[in-house]
Amino acid sequence: MRIGVCIKQVPDTDSHLRIADSGREIDDSDLNWVISSCDLCALEEGLLLAEAQVSRGEERPELVVFSLGPPRVEEALRKALALGADRAVHLAGEALQGGDALADGCALAAALAKVHCDLVLTGAQSDDLGQAATPAVIAEILGVPYAWLVMAVELDSRKQSVRVVRELEGGMNEVLRLDLPAVLAIQAGINKPRFASLRGTLQSRRKPLHREDCSGVDAGLVGAAGAGTETESVSLPPAGAGGVVIEGVSAEAAAEELLAHLEREAAL
Amino acid sequence: MVLLPHTYQSAEYAPRLAVRLGAAYVASVSSATLDAGGVLSFSRAILQARLRAEVRPKRRLVVATVQIGAFGGHDPVELPERVFEVGRPADVERHREREILGREAAGAGGVDLPGAERIVTAGRGVGGPDEVSVAADLASALDAELGASRPVVDNGWLPREHQVGSSGHIVAPNLYVALGVSGSIQHLMGMSGSRVIVAVNRDPEAPIFSVAHYGIVADLHDVAPALTRLLLARRPG
Repeated sequence: MRIGVCIKQVPDTDSHLRIADSGREIDDSDLNWVISSCDLCALEEGLLLAEAQVSRGEERPELVVFSLGPPRVEEALRKALALGADRAVHLAGEALQGGDALADGCALAAALAKVHCDLVLTGAQSDDLGQAATPAVIAEILGVPYAWLVMAVELDSRKQSVRVVRELEGGMNEVLRLDLPAVLAIQAGINKPRFASLRGTLQSRRKPLHREDCSGVDAGLVGAAGAGTETESVSLPPAGAGGVVIEGVSAEAAAEELLAHLEREAAL
Repeated sequence: MVLLPHTYQSAEYAPRLAVRLGAAYVASVSSATLDAGGVLSFSRAILQARLRAEVRPKRRLVVATVQIGAFGGHDPVELPERVFEVGRPADVERHREREILGREAAGAGGVDLPGAERIVTAGRGVGGPDEVSVAADLASALDAELGASRPVVDNGWLPREHQVGSSGHIVAPNLYVALGVSGSIQHLMGMSGSRVIVAVNRDPEAPIFSVAHYGIVADLHDVAPALTRLLLARRPG
C-alpha cells in the first residue's frame, strides 16, 4: 500500500507581511517559510495510519510526500522526510510556477497518478490562500471519491475502503465510507503533529528526493498557463469597524475605561 | 457564473464542479465588482484574513463560493419562477464509491453558548492549558459562558463544546469578549453578529479588531485580571 501526502510551503503566519512594490503579491524577501498547518496534520495522519498497519502485523505502507513550488520547497520536503515520510517528489520547473488551485491540482494529480497512491492526504486548506480547492481538484482529475474537513480516518482490514468522520457546521460530524483510491483533506485538530527527532533529521538526508517536471502533461493545463484566475492586487483589509481603540495605558486604566464604555452600552 | 454559498457541504464539491465545467474557481469571496469595461473581479481574504486579494477570473465561466454573511440581506426580489426538472443519473444507486453512514454530534454538550447573554472567549493568545483560567475567571465575574477559538480546542486546552466559529457554535450574545483571539474568518463568521464586541490582543494587526467595537491593544494577561478585579469589587455584598 502507498499513501501520498501533498504539502504546501507557506509564509509563517506570524511573519510580518509586507506588500511587494508590484502590489500583486506579498514581499517574500524576508519571510519565514513553513509547512501549512493542516498539511502537517495530513502528514501526521499518514504516519499514524502507517504505524497502525505495522502494529497489526501488516506491511508498512510507503509514505510519499509531494510539493509544488520553487527550489525553497525542498526544505519543506526534507522536513517531511525527517518526520518520517519515505521519499519525496518536488514538482519543480518554470512551467509549473504561477498556477492557481486548478493548475497546481492538475500537476499534482499527474505526479500522484505516476506513483499510484492508494490514499492521498492533504490539508483541508492552506494557511496562505485558503481556497480549500486543490485536494478537490486532484480528486476530480483522478476521478476518485473525496472528503473535506476530515477529523478521523480508519482503513478497513482489506484496505479497499476507508471510514472517515468529517466536520459539518454547528458542531455536527458526518460519517462516510469511501472506496480506495480516495483523496482526504485533513482538518486541523485531528492529531498533534510530532516534532522531528535528531535521528529523523539525519536519516532524511539519505532519503530520496526526486524532481518531477510533469512534462507529460499538456503545458496549457499547469503553471500560469493553466490557471483559471490571476491576482490583480493585494491590500490591507479595511481598517476596523470604526471601533474605539484603547492602547498605551496601564492595564488598570484600560480596564476602567472599557467598563465605563460597556456600562454606557448597557452591556453589563 | 455559478454562485454557491461557502458552506462545509458546497465548498467540498464546488472545485470539482469548476473542473468539470472547465471554469475558473474562486472560493469564499466577500465582494464582487464589475468595472466599466465589463471585467469581473472578486475580493477575498488571504493569509488568514491579514490581507485581501482582488482576484480576476481568466475564463468566461466562473464557479465562485460566497462567504456566509458577506452580503447584507436585501428584501427578497420577486423572480420569475422557472423550475428546471433535473433527472437523477441512472447509475447513482449502483455506484456508491462514497456513502454517508450517519451523522453525530461532535462534542459532549453541557455548555450553552447559543443561549448565552455574555461570552468570554479564550484564544490561542492565552498561551496554554493552565492559563485558560484567566478567561474563565473573567467569564465568571461577568456571569458569562466560556468560549474557545479553534486552536484552543485543537490543542486540547478546552473541550470542543466551547468552540465558537463556523465549525462550532454560531453566537450573537449581548456582549462578546475575545481574549487573545486573532480572528480567523471562521471565528468571525461565528460571532460577528454579537451586539457589543470587545477584543484584547497584543497584535494591533489581528483581524479580530476589524469587527471589535472596543479594542484593547495590550497583553490579555494584564488586562483580563484587572477587569476581573474591578468587576468583583463592584459586586454588592
